[in-house]
Amino acid sequence: MTVAPLSVLVVDDEPQIHRFLGPALEAAGYAPLRAETAREGLRLAAARGPACVLLDLGLPDMDGKEALARLRAFSQVPVIVVSARDREAEKVAALDAGADDYVEKPFGLAELLARLRAATRRALLVEAPVPLVTAGPLEVDLERRRARVLGQEMALTPREWELLAALARNLGRVVTQRRLLGEIWGPAHVEDSQYLRVYVGQLRAKLGPAARLLRTEPGVGYRLLEADG
Amino acid sequence: MSQAEPARPDPDALAELAAREGRGRLKVFLGAAPGVGKTMEMLIEGRRLLAAGRDVVIGLVETHGRAETEAAIAPLPRQPLKAIAYRGRVLHEFDLDAALARRPAILLLDELAHSNAPGSRHAKRWQDVEELRDGGIEVWTTMNVQHLESSAEAVARVTGVRVAETVPDAVLKGADAVELVDIPPAELLERMRAGKIYRPEQAERALRGFFKEGALAALRELALRRTADRVDADVTSWMRRNAVAGPWPVGDRVLALIPGGAAAEPVLHQARRLADALHAPLLALHVEQPGQAEDPGPGIALAQQLGAETEVTTATDLPAAIIAHARARRATHIILGRGAPVWWRRMLGRRLIASLARQAPEFTLHVVPSPAAARAPAPPRAWPGWTAWLVVPLLVGGATLACALLDGMVPDAAFGMVYLAAIVAIAATVGPLQAGAGAVLAFLAWNFLFLPPRYTLTIASAQDVLGAVVFGAVAALLAGTTGRLGRNVRSAALRLAALRRLTALSRRLNAQASMPELQMAVVEEAARIAGGPACLLLPLDEALEASLPGQFAREAALPAEPVPRAAYPADAAPDDGAMAAARWALARGRPAGRGTATLPTSAWRFLPLTALREGEVVTLGLLGLRPGAEVPDPEADRALEALLDQAAVALERARLADIAANARARGQTEALRTALLTSLGHDLRTPLTTIRGAAETLRSAGPALNEATRADLLSSIEEEATRLARWMSAILDIVRLETGQVTPRREPVDLAEAMQAAAERAALTYPEREIQRDLRAGLPHPRLDPALLDRVLENVLDNALKYSAPTGGVRLSAVREGAEVMLRVEDDGPGIPPEDLPRIFDPFFRAARADSIAAGSGLGLSICRGLVAAMGGRITAESPIAAGRGTRITLRFPA
Repeated sequence: MTVAPLSVLVVDDEPQIHRFLGPALEAAGYAPLRAETAREGLRLAAARGPACVLLDLGLPDMDGKEALARLRAFSQVPVIVVSARDREAEKVAALDAGADDYVEKPFGLAELLARLRAATRRALLVEAPVPLVTAGPLEVDLERRRARVLGQEMALTPREWELLAALARNLGRVVTQRRLLGEIWGPAHVEDSQYLRVYVGQLRAKLGPAARLLRTEPGVGYRLLEADG
Repeated sequence: MSQAEPARPDPDALAELAAREGRGRLKVFLGAAPGVGKTMEMLIEGRRLLAAGRDVVIGLVETHGRAETEAAIAPLPRQPLKAIAYRGRVLHEFDLDAALARRPAILLLDELAHSNAPGSRHAKRWQDVEELRDGGIEVWTTMNVQHLESSAEAVARVTGVRVAETVPDAVLKGADAVELVDIPPAELLERMRAGKIYRPEQAERALRGFFKEGALAALRELALRRTADRVDADVTSWMRRNAVAGPWPVGDRVLALIPGGAAAEPVLHQARRLADALHAPLLALHVEQPGQAEDPGPGIALAQQLGAETEVTTATDLPAAIIAHARARRATHIILGRGAPVWWRRMLGRRLIASLARQAPEFTLHVVPSPAAARAPAPPRAWPGWTAWLVVPLLVGGATLACALLDGMVPDAAFGMVYLAAIVAIAATVGPLQAGAGAVLAFLAWNFLFLPPRYTLTIASAQDVLGAVVFGAVAALLAGTTGRLGRNVRSAALRLAALRRLTALSRRLNAQASMPELQMAVVEEAARIAGGPACLLLPLDEALEASLPGQFAREAALPAEPVPRAAYPADAAPDDGAMAAARWALARGRPAGRGTATLPTSAWRFLPLTALREGEVVTLGLLGLRPGAEVPDPEADRALEALLDQAAVALERARLADIAANARARGQTEALRTALLTSLGHDLRTPLTTIRGAAETLRSAGPALNEATRADLLSSIEEEATRLARWMSAILDIVRLETGQVTPRREPVDLAEAMQAAAERAALTYPEREIQRDLRAGLPHPRLDPALLDRVLENVLDNALKYSAPTGGVRLSAVREGAEVMLRVEDDGPGIPPEDLPRIFDPFFRAARADSIAAGSGLGLSICRGLVAAMGGRITAESPIAAGRGTRITLRFPA
């Protein structure tokens, strides 16, 4: 018995992108859906209920944020936005507006597939949360509030634990600074990114061999990788 | 003074103090006559300060061969004098430039009133002193009271000697310290006789002149009074500065009325003294009147020299104009001359005084006697001198002849009319005096020849007596009014001509589009007015200054070097000597050279063009003139003044337009850069993503893909690489064109051949499309770059084929039209929306984004425009061309 392939909706106005993404996604075991405008994309998202949406922010007929807001009005489907490297503000805005992750053009295929995996897994986890998160040498036990590196128990302050847990719950996905600050320090401190830098530094020191898994996404936020990549 | 209202220092007094700071101080040793010991006093004090370690230097001290002076000079350092050759003699003068370069702390410079040798920079030594003070050097100098401008008149009255060398009152007023050097007249005479002042032969002459005890006493009083006034002024100024409530008079203002001609001098001198005595500001007004003959120029210049705030207005009602001005300026005293000694003008003067007294009782009136000797020169007449009188017997004789001919045909009373006509004619052509004489002559002739009893001078009937009386009255009235009317008409005509010229000039300057044309117009006009060569000089760093931010530019402003930018005739250029005057005029913003007080021996005269820029008066440049006539013509001077104003405004406007154009050009470059960045972001990323993604897919999932998918991915890599290469070369073209790096090769091009080749190549890319060609025989062979033309044609054709896809036709034609040859490329595609039409030649603009396959980089047409322009041609677009469809691109080149 074969599991039905997860469908991925690609919304991009460049036909050349569809031309290589189609075969690439198929080869990776996904069923690609193709849309060249935001309206077409929203229609397909509503009609076909894809497992994940790859959304280009530079669409001719609608602003990327607008498209995202309309999508979120009826669906919690994971969304990965495609944007340019030099548009930090655009990416952060999209993430804050409900996108799950982003890739930068020109993106590599391996990177895109890793993001897709992380995004689609979260969608599955929503129904059955797994209390134990493993990333390389790091194990985070969300239920017992404990973390181990190479089997060695970590001594964490409450704030350090909150930070690690927030990243572990979103394993493989970027978490914006605003979201981390809001969740851990409260809504009054969403702009105080210097707190975050200090605690991330401390956490990295304690992570030892697992420190390289905690990646900074400059200008956007932080990401805990599943494995070295 | 109450607590609630604290005393505030007077702002005017503080401003005056501030203006003095930064300038070198001026100390004047004032004496009543030569020999009182001014120079000695100055030297002794100088030595004292030298001993105290101050840098005291003698610029020039006149010893007059006096032994004691020679001895006093000895210990002080002396600056070498400058030798100036003049008419075969060598004169030794104070060296201003050496002093400015040496920058002593204190410079001693004898005889403030001295006139410099011809060929010096300034005509007067006091001007040297002003420049030294501007340079931050403290100057000590000596002066006798008779050289003070406002004292000259009084001194002349007392001594009978009028001094030619005078110093404006403002110089003494602006001095920081005045020290009176005084000895009793008897002692002075004693020194004189002992030969301590002049050498014996000079002493003899001087003793006969004003070295008389009475004259010396008067001079001494004058000097003491001047110094006392000065001390008083210092105290007043100190009190005002420090807000001490004091007894200085408030609100007194003296208004001097400047008459035309020589009468101005005593009025203004008296006014200056009155204003000084009252500690009141001095205002001066000249009212121009129709028919006025005497030149007010010298009077106005003197008023300014005396420090009066001077204004000129025009009015017919003299008293009303004066009163209005006096009230507007809050004058309290009005001072005016008694009027010239011609009887009718004296009448006029009396009338003026009377009406001022009657209509404006709030003013104190001062009437100054007119100088008896100074008779005003006769006003210019239409008929010079005695010839005017010839008209009288001629016209009266003519009238008599006419009456003799009419005798018997008309009633005798009508003869009066004929004579009246003759008198009107005399009044209108020559003047009122002649008309009066004519009236007497006519009456005698009429009475003798035609009034009964004839051939006697008696009148028989009462009726005729009445007629004769009426004739006399009418003739007198006519003589006066017609004469005045004639003069008014003449002066109005002159004014009208001047006004018309001014309007024409203004129109001409405004019509000039570019800076060089404008400069040319200015020098041509100046040359026409001045009757000699003219040139325009602008500072060298003008371009630099425009590009630097204000503060920096001001700091970096070295003495600007004037550079001739335009000249009329074209080869007129100031010589090196004149350029020295130009440099000075530009640095100071004041006139210099011939006919001015500074460097008057230069052949050229330089007048500054000034404008207000951010609240500061800026010298934009200089107008250089080499006047043809020796005597300055006041009419031409007025015209030049108007030209200077107009030219300055026009130049400033042109400069601002240049700055605006530069800003616009910068803005365009900025827009291009933004468009380029956007294009880099968009056009580079998609092909790169595609190439990378396709390559990775092939590598990671290659075996799992079928043959067709693999081939498609490979060709997508190829296509995207080609697209990148095309985009790159387009970007390079645009950058080259925008930075002017495209220099076309020019050779005769066979247009038919070039278009044929382009069409055939296009046919290879679009084999199924029809390209019509209409290439007439006998097309010219314009000089173009064949390679660039080929690229333009290829681009335009490609566009036409792309936008009219898939089946539309494309037409290619070439025709000669006048001096141009036109190439047309037409398609019958959907056309270009009207709102896009003006922008299709802009870089990165893409029409009809919807069919994104056809849309290229958006650079094609922009590149075409650049290439066509580089070859001296134009490219235009029209759409729609027929039935709401189609686009026509037209290339025009000079045939």
